[in-house]
Amino acid sequence: MMNAKTHEGSGRWGEQRRKSQARRAERLQKMDAELERRLPARYARQRNRRIVASMGAGLLGLLWVDAAISWALAPSDTAMIANFVILGVLVVLGFPVAGQLIAITRGMIFKREHELDERQQLARLRAFSTAHKGTTTLIILATAATMFADGDDDLHVPSAALFLILFALLVTHALLPQVVATWQMPDPPAEDDEDLANANAGHTA
Amino acid sequence: MSPSKDDKEHVFNRIPMLRAERGVSRRDLAAALGVHYQTIGYLERGEYSPSLHLALRIADYFEVPVEVVFSLAPFPRIGSTS
Repeated sequence: MMNAKTHEGSGRWGEQRRKSQARRAERLQKMDAELERRLPARYARQRNRRIVASMGAGLLGLLWVDAAISWALAPSDTAMIANFVILGVLVVLGFPVAGQLIAITRGMIFKREHELDERQQLARLRAFSTAHKGTTTLIILATAATMFADGDDDLHVPSAALFLILFALLVTHALLPQVVATWQMPDPPAEDDEDLANANAGHTA
Repeated sequence: MSPSKDDKEHVFNRIPMLRAERGVSRRDLAAALGVHYQTIGYLERGEYSPSLHLALRIADYFEVPVEVVFSLAPFPRIGSTS
């Protein structure tokens, strides 16, 4: 009896999971189609994609500038004002830029592995690998800086700065792969008709 | 002598020709293979070399041996004597 109930629950759970996966797949398909339709044509050019990636990297850098300002000036009103101004800029510019980055890469970084094909999985792996090297360097630098400061009585790290360093590290860790993936993306292939015409003309390799 | 980087990574293919010959669009082929349609474009442009599994599935889709679709050497142009 118990087993039967367990099986029934498992079956119901399995059914719900399948339905949920199907809904997600449908949602992703619609989102992909919408992205293809709405993504500006200018992002077909590497230069324009890299401008957006640079903006993303710049905004991530701003978080580190914020942490450095807090370290140098906190606790003070100047540090607080600078902090709010920088965070305001990040909120206003960060979300649209993040949206563009996600659109350009078609959400490659945030999708589940089974939702990507082998080329996309490879591109994502490459982006994660490069971003991992970047964050490792940042962690080494941040650790060295805080250790150095800890050993020197004149270079005390304010708790606000410590929080901002950890926050910058978290955001960089989460978003750097997105920036790197956008930077590394190759130009999209030409439209289908054009390629069919090339194929008809005998272009084979 | 080890092959150069270009030799190692460049796999020539006849996907555009096979698609054109059979009137299959890039999206149709991508849907049949379960990959993104741009992946087909990158394959055709030679910017991405498929896994053995995908290469075999492409050959299977066109119902030809895999060496008809992929080659490590450039395919001769139609009508050429070599």
